[in-house]
Amino acid sequence: MLSIIDTVKSYNGNIVVNIPQLDIPTGEIIGLVGNNGAGKTTLFRLLLDLIRADKGEILSKEKNVAVSEDWKGYTAAYLDEGFLINYLTPEEYFYFIGKLHQRSKADVDEFLQNFEAFFDGSILNSGKYIRDLSKGNQFKVGIAACLLQQPELLTLDEPFANLDPSSQLRLIRMLKELPAQQRVTVLISSHDLNHVTEVCHRILLMEKGRIIKDIDTTADTLQELESYFEV
Amino acid sequence: MILTLLSHQWKSFWRSRNAGRSLAIQIVLGLIIAYLLASILTIGFTFPHMLHKFYPGQDIVRIFCSFIFYYYSFDVVLRFTLQELPVLSTQPYLGQNIPKRKLVAFLNIRSLFHFLNLVPLFLFLPFAFMEMAHAYGAAGAAGFIATIIFLTIFNNFLILYIKRRTIVSSWWLVGFFAAIMAFIVLDYFHIISLGKWSSASFIRLLSAPSLVLIPVALGLAAWFNNYRFLLGNLYLDEGIAAEKEKTSREYTWLEQMGLSGELIALDIKLILRNKRPKYILRLSALFMAYGLIFYTKDNLKEPHMYIFLFTGIFVTGIFIINYGQFLFAWHSNYFDGLMSSNISLPAWIRSKFMLYTAVSTIIFIITSFYGLISWKLLVTHLAAWLYNIGINSVISVYLATYNYKAIDLSKSATFNYQGTGAVQWVYSFALILAPYVFFYPLARFVDPWVGFAAVGGLGLISLLLQNWWVDILVREFRKRKYLVLAGFREK
Repeated sequence: MLSIIDTVKSYNGNIVVNIPQLDIPTGEIIGLVGNNGAGKTTLFRLLLDLIRADKGEILSKEKNVAVSEDWKGYTAAYLDEGFLINYLTPEEYFYFIGKLHQRSKADVDEFLQNFEAFFDGSILNSGKYIRDLSKGNQFKVGIAACLLQQPELLTLDEPFANLDPSSQLRLIRMLKELPAQQRVTVLISSHDLNHVTEVCHRILLMEKGRIIKDIDTTADTLQELESYFEV
Repeated sequence: MILTLLSHQWKSFWRSRNAGRSLAIQIVLGLIIAYLLASILTIGFTFPHMLHKFYPGQDIVRIFCSFIFYYYSFDVVLRFTLQELPVLSTQPYLGQNIPKRKLVAFLNIRSLFHFLNLVPLFLFLPFAFMEMAHAYGAAGAAGFIATIIFLTIFNNFLILYIKRRTIVSSWWLVGFFAAIMAFIVLDYFHIISLGKWSSASFIRLLSAPSLVLIPVALGLAAWFNNYRFLLGNLYLDEGIAAEKEKTSREYTWLEQMGLSGELIALDIKLILRNKRPKYILRLSALFMAYGLIFYTKDNLKEPHMYIFLFTGIFVTGIFIINYGQFLFAWHSNYFDGLMSSNISLPAWIRSKFMLYTAVSTIIFIITSFYGLISWKLLVTHLAAWLYNIGINSVISVYLATYNYKAIDLSKSATFNYQGTGAVQWVYSFALILAPYVFFYPLARFVDPWVGFAAVGGLGLISLLLQNWWVDILVREFRKRKYLVLAGFREK
């Protein structure tokens, strides 16, 4: 699905991302962990062609993301509020995103019914623009909009950070079910080691732009990670 | 306490991100404001001279006084469009140990620091000193000055009150505009005469200065009314909750045009739901009447036709000029999202062209009423309109790919120069002056009409080449896409 080849990105001489080779096969759930400044968000932005790599290339389905726009059709991402059009109502935003993927309104409405519990009654028909929603609810809108696109590649930056406990658990369940149903490749970053080890098949540990550990999740993984982060 | 609060406001003004960033912009801005005030002051000082010249032998004080009510009516409209409510700035103080009435008093005083409150002083006071003091003595002039000050205060608080009311119920807005329209219509048909009322009232005031108590009472009443209303409504949630339910809107006719239509619908919502672009829309509407200043009988003779290209481009292209200077930057808050979602760059750029064409065409149709003044104007506007949608739209999108400065949509509009940089200064000049490159030589050495034909013809040709332009602009945008994205991320 994704190959990152010899990719380097630096700001003012500081190397932020430096990945000689990384392959991500279809249908895997990958967790990205690392302290602040490890380069997780930068890596996501590189994947989405939002910043230019100094060197190397990122291939999505064998096509360089910086050259071809094909990836836009099957990639969904939510990194921060900068992905939401905040003066739309949540419904308008969902219809807009749906339209970009040729999904009719009725289709979108039907899809959103699955999210009733996740939205907890405070998003649809709330009479608010997205900018007036709380941080957590904005995040829910972003995640739902991603899933609405029925992506083959899903990228979420710290999805658990702003959610309340019940929503975190619901999100974990949804993420776990995804690859089984639709062969979706998922990339998430998180500071919550418990959640990450529970959801992900494979965990990449980043430090100063490098991937220093590439672990297939087992029962011991949590402990291994905890011992790394313990100072 | 109120002084401390004011000093905080002062700091917030100077320390806001966009203020600190560029000294050059502030200097230019300061010069513009100084220039405006100086011009107004000059008008104020030349009033006696001008009135003597235009109305020889008449009582110029009386004539001068007849203008004042007109000015204040105009002032009401200006305030309604330009003045903003100083509300949100109290938020951090509500939880502190500061009595509410002080906060409210602060809000009221704060609102007095406005450009529009200076204008009448600069405009009318020189005349009071130069002429009225002569004719009616010091007491009369002093009464007049006090009247001007308190009428200004009255207008200031009246409009703030009406604006606060319109937040709660839009019927206030409808009522307000109905009243204004009624006055204009009645005055136009000479059923009532604001001018006569104005001169009668002020002459009366000048001879009996104690009447100054009336405007003083009006001003204080407006202040107190505002004070009372605010005191009862100073709750965080009410300002917001009182706003009406936000409802979803779909523009079905646009949706049928596919992705580009969808993107245009997005632009429309952006304009209607955010302060700063909405302000630009209102300004554009106001500027449609700009031609009236230039389209006089004298100017309609052929030797003066150079100016018509400017007015034509300006009037029919006002939306491109105003909205276009931040074409992509309007979307800066969520540009990351847009650029990683399933929108191809050609469709994105094509939607901008469609938006420009649609709005400019609407403006062209509305402003075709200038054709009633002279058929020539219809022709010049036609040429300018073609040039705007054909060439200026391309220049606009091209320059947008050089604009790396983000815009925060939630910030208010007046004197907000966030996101303004070198590109914006070049922008308007490029749009307005470039057509003269083709026009001037032809108009000078052949015939103005040939010049207009060339401008319109070039616009038309360029319009037909639009698909070719889209390819070029996509290539240009790709070159700088990462710079634009990085700039927009930096807020």
